[in-house]
Amino acid sequence: MDIVVCIKQVPDVPNIRIDEHRMTIIREGVESIINPLDCVALEAAVDLRERQGGRITVLSMGPPQSEEALREALAFGADQAILLTDPAFGGADTLATSHVLATAISMLKPFPDLVLCGRQTIDSDTGHVGPQIAEELDLPQVCGVNEIDLQGDSLVVKRLYDGFLDTFRVNTPALLTVSQELSSPHHIPLADLERAFSDREIIRWAMKDLNLKPEEVGLGGSATRAWKLHKAAPKRRGEVVTGSPQSLVEHLIRKLEALSILDEESGNE
Amino acid sequence: MKKVEMNSPSKGIWVFGDYRHYFQNRVTLQLIAKAKTLAQRLGAEVTVVVLGEEVHQYAMEYVAHGADVVMVVDHPSLKNFQVETYSRLVATLVEDYRPEVFLAGATPFGREFFPRLAKRLKTGLSTDCIALEVDAETQLLLQTTPAFGGDLLAEVITQNHRPQMATVHPGVFEERIHDSRPVGRIIYPEVDIHPDERVQLVCSRPEQSKKGYLENAAVVIVGGRGIGSGEQFQSLFDLAELLQGEVGATRPAVDAGLTGEDRLLGQTGKSVKPRLLITIGTSGALQYTTGIQGSETIIAINRDAQAPIFKIADLGLVGDAHSILTLLVEKLRKRL
Repeated sequence: MDIVVCIKQVPDVPNIRIDEHRMTIIREGVESIINPLDCVALEAAVDLRERQGGRITVLSMGPPQSEEALREALAFGADQAILLTDPAFGGADTLATSHVLATAISMLKPFPDLVLCGRQTIDSDTGHVGPQIAEELDLPQVCGVNEIDLQGDSLVVKRLYDGFLDTFRVNTPALLTVSQELSSPHHIPLADLERAFSDREIIRWAMKDLNLKPEEVGLGGSATRAWKLHKAAPKRRGEVVTGSPQSLVEHLIRKLEALSILDEESGNE
Repeated sequence: MKKVEMNSPSKGIWVFGDYRHYFQNRVTLQLIAKAKTLAQRLGAEVTVVVLGEEVHQYAMEYVAHGADVVMVVDHPSLKNFQVETYSRLVATLVEDYRPEVFLAGATPFGREFFPRLAKRLKTGLSTDCIALEVDAETQLLLQTTPAFGGDLLAEVITQNHRPQMATVHPGVFEERIHDSRPVGRIIYPEVDIHPDERVQLVCSRPEQSKKGYLENAAVVIVGGRGIGSGEQFQSLFDLAELLQGEVGATRPAVDAGLTGEDRLLGQTGKSVKPRLLITIGTSGALQYTTGIQGSETIIAINRDAQAPIFKIADLGLVGDAHSILTLLVEKLRKRL
């Protein structure tokens, strides 16, 4: 089974700081990581290869430094890594990003049986790219799967969704996006990591290698613009009180009475 | 009788009608209400698109809740909400009627279906919006969506592509009161249906949790990572019982294993609008607060006086969550 895993290098979001004047993200000093759900997808791919044989290709669109994420993915167990990088790809929304990724996948020989993505990324959180690759490549999709089984030529997958546990049978080739519950990514041995950074090759494809035009990629191929970033204005600011637990609790109880959550009590205790 | 005006079809605002369960249907009603206010600014009509088998009751309900038009495609092969079949069919409708704006709830289905549809239509999509406005000058839809884990809000526009598509965070908008004498049209477009059989639903069973228990609670007690141990988290249930409320949790609390995913509030969980919400040991990250901002009254308890949660609280208590909680439960028990 040939599997493609799409990964994205993302800033380690909990450590992000914001430039309050310019309303931009300060990226300096923030570690970059593989999007956590993409690691779950990689682990699932490694597991499927163990059961079924085949090859794992990792694919990432991003600036040149995304190479680190791909090397890490090689250390994780991927067989080959392709970096889609070109200055023209910058500023892409999900429409343009999925176009570049889908074009690269369509150039792979043989065409993969399965494309895996994380359900969403921690930096933009849209969850668009998986379904949009599926649409462009005309693949069936199931998002947020937490179990993948193989039965003959089809996949049997499960997901927890809108309060229901759904089981699907999916013909391959297919695209799945994965949720946290699917697998726990294994620890990468340091020796493998070192080897991935010294001996392994990363394939690089730029815009012309994919036969794409500037108006199809990056800002030009995007339909949306983020034109303003701001912090949410605080909606209300009530009183903030300090004191002993005793006095705080009394304060709280008075508030509950004022809100008619509690019936008023006539001072006896 | 009110006169029903036909508008030029390109000015339409569409809402995807997800009626399957109570929660999804509420989201649809919220979107209809919001679409109505946007439609007034644009001089547009609100159309709800309803696909499925025997779905007329929902068409009536959506008219009663303010839809000018409900577009119904009723067919047995549309019974399951199948993304591939739906994308293909709805894309044809969009190409025929050319709406200006198209909204869906940011439910798991909406978040799987709308990206595929937007791609098929080669247009832009913003996800999980917490505000939608029409720009007075350009008439463009301003879509506010949380970015970078919610620390920032991004205002997104779709300048040249149509429709302008967005999924909307459940519970952000308020549904309208049901109109007893509604006026609206129900239309049945002619379409070819091509069921996609590459994905087959084998079975679907409800997960054991009581549906809607959190969303409908009048009082919600929320615990964050600052609550400490699982044992201390349990005392939230004591408080909830005394106030006849329910218990919710933040992402860090769920990730720390203090309680289950079904109690998760915020961007990746549920949204609540109780009369009273008491939030304990939660710092107030935006991922969380987007899910509670509709609460009538918010009381926050946190050890750190600088915690952002106090900025959205009506009453803030600075102190140790555990001792306040223990004392409060004790006092309330005495009163019963």
